[in-house]
Amino acid sequence: MSETPILRLSNINTHYGQIHILQDVSLEVYSGELVCLLGGNASGKSTTLKTILGIVKPTSGTIEFRGEPVQQRPTSYRIERGMAVVPENRRIFGSMTVEENLEMGAYLRNDRDGIKEDFERVLKLFPRLKERLHQLGGTLSGGEQQMLAMGRALISRPHLLLMDEPSMGLAPILVEQNFEIIQQINQQGTTIFMVEQNANMALSIGTRGYVLQTGRVVLTDQAKNLLHDEQLRKAYLGR
Amino acid sequence: MSKDKIGKDEWVASYQQRSAGIVGWRGALAGISERLPTWAWFALVIAIGVAIPMLTSNTYIIRVAGNIALMATLAMGLNLVVGYAGLLDLGFVAFYGVGGYVYAYLSSDFSGVHLPTGLTLIIVIGIGLLFGLLLGLPSLRLVGDYLAIVTLGFGQIFVQLMTSMTRVNLPGHERPVNLTGGPNGIVNLDPFSILGFTANTVTDYYYVLLAVMVIILIVGFHLNNSRIGRAWRSLREDELAADAMGMPTRQLKLLAFALGAAIAGLSGALFAAWQGSVFPGNFDIALLINVYAIIVLGGLGSLPGVIVGSVLMIAIPEILRNVELAGQLFYLLIIVTLIATLRPRWQSVALLVSVIVFGLILKPILVALSPASFAALEATSSGFVDTIRNWLAIPIEAKAVGNLAFGALILMILLVTRIKDMRVRFIALIPTLYLLSFVWETRLSQEPSITRLLFVGVLLIVLMIYRPNGLLGERRVEVV
Repeated sequence: MSETPILRLSNINTHYGQIHILQDVSLEVYSGELVCLLGGNASGKSTTLKTILGIVKPTSGTIEFRGEPVQQRPTSYRIERGMAVVPENRRIFGSMTVEENLEMGAYLRNDRDGIKEDFERVLKLFPRLKERLHQLGGTLSGGEQQMLAMGRALISRPHLLLMDEPSMGLAPILVEQNFEIIQQINQQGTTIFMVEQNANMALSIGTRGYVLQTGRVVLTDQAKNLLHDEQLRKAYLGR
Repeated sequence: MSKDKIGKDEWVASYQQRSAGIVGWRGALAGISERLPTWAWFALVIAIGVAIPMLTSNTYIIRVAGNIALMATLAMGLNLVVGYAGLLDLGFVAFYGVGGYVYAYLSSDFSGVHLPTGLTLIIVIGIGLLFGLLLGLPSLRLVGDYLAIVTLGFGQIFVQLMTSMTRVNLPGHERPVNLTGGPNGIVNLDPFSILGFTANTVTDYYYVLLAVMVIILIVGFHLNNSRIGRAWRSLREDELAADAMGMPTRQLKLLAFALGAAIAGLSGALFAAWQGSVFPGNFDIALLINVYAIIVLGGLGSLPGVIVGSVLMIAIPEILRNVELAGQLFYLLIIVTLIATLRPRWQSVALLVSVIVFGLILKPILVALSPASFAALEATSSGFVDTIRNWLAIPIEAKAVGNLAFGALILMILLVTRIKDMRVRFIALIPTLYLLSFVWETRLSQEPSITRLLFVGVLLIVLMIYRPNGLLGERRVEVV
């Protein structure tokens, strides 16, 4: 592809102390895509996401976000440039109301009208949240909390939405519902980079996928091809 | 799976009905507090505050009220750091001390400088902010317990420096210079004087303290509801998530630290002006504990809680100075606790009657067994106290027996809380309550200074068991 990707990781190496977690990870996300990062336990999925966000700093390699190297920049700068995250386990603010939670997502924005518009957009996407605007975040059910976490991320109108395990800890029916919403968000034009264990689910809505195994990208292809790939099974189940 | 499944939520829809269902005085109170707008609460606080000196000319009461206003101001500063931003700062009182000493330097013969109070206060606030930043920069790399330990160290260093910087060799001076006055402090400070108004009497100072408290209260309220306030709260909830929302967490923490320090500095200056002097001992750990007790009692992060907490933490120990009043409150508290906790309700009456009968039977038996140990008691000024003392079997060696009884009482209380069987517990409560009364009359009421501390301690323990979020604290909701 000739256009510049929204996000490009080139030869990223990340260490936790002495332990080499990510080994020469390179990946690209283009505008409008829904890219899935797959892999079994301890394959480095979450670390990749943390590295992209700047919560963990890579020891070498470059991260380009919208054409600009950001690997030396703090998290808040990257968010300001247009990343947003739906964290693992949702991590909503339990003692704050749904409305306040959503407002926190727009923390770095100053355009009152734009925020209001996006508020409406998010509430339209999640009518459940509209009913519960003044309820404390911690009193929501797991599925509703996931909606809130997504809404909180979307309200910043991100160029790139990062999702960490959106299916975690949810009942199967909620997982399905969730993925439908994610697909809908993507179809409305938001670029999404998703880390997920549930490979079938993720690939069924994704554009492309990367498979991580012990910190290396071992496989990458169009999502529909990956769905039937033998090697993917190997990456999950070992040899 | 779609949208028609995400329908209207009945539980949420019926909220109004359910809240209307809370009846009785609780419902009425909740209704009133929900309907009253915020400015009405402010007006109420101001009205009560302004009215106090008009209702009484007793300077002692006005002095206590002034102390409440001062402590409330200081506690609001701490509430901003601990309650809003969630930073456990144990060096907070040092900023109060800095404010006090800066005021002392700028308005006394000790340094020979006499600045107008208005200017001094601006400098005090500025220095408070600066000190907050200076201590915040290194400390905020630490979290939780570590922050607490390091700031505790800062607090101690401040007191030590103020105590010991009496002979410091400075360049340009032949002899060592006394920088802080040491344990003797700095005395004869200028009175508080601003815009042609000079505070001379206790009442004058009371109004100054009240005005500052109200200003800080209003500032704190608006701060809490601002963008920054919400950011602080999210920081307290989940720092990583706040970081991921793009909040500049470090700057936010520093801001909380600095603003808290500035408020502490301001209250310290007011304190110094009021007392007319500063001593290192004014800013020690005891004060720190008191301020923390205020915000924990009132509820972390709650502004009305700070006011209620200060009233309770300052007023209760003062009320307990009067032995007779303290006694009446003590017995009233026992009776109220019994009525509130025992079910069915008649049990509390039965228990009280049983305790009285128990005492009436026990005394003749003990006197008959050992007539030499008992003598007629001296009458006190209070009929109420005399009645109870005569009902109890108080021996001649009241102090020694009282000490033993104290130990026995603690054992009995532990025992009672362990007993599960209702009837056995009822029976065990009879001697326990008798012992409680006995210990009060022989020991606790005799040493009011220690009892006051005990009382506050017990109050805090009980509160933390039944309302861990404080009296007016918002309920914490954990995300599971």
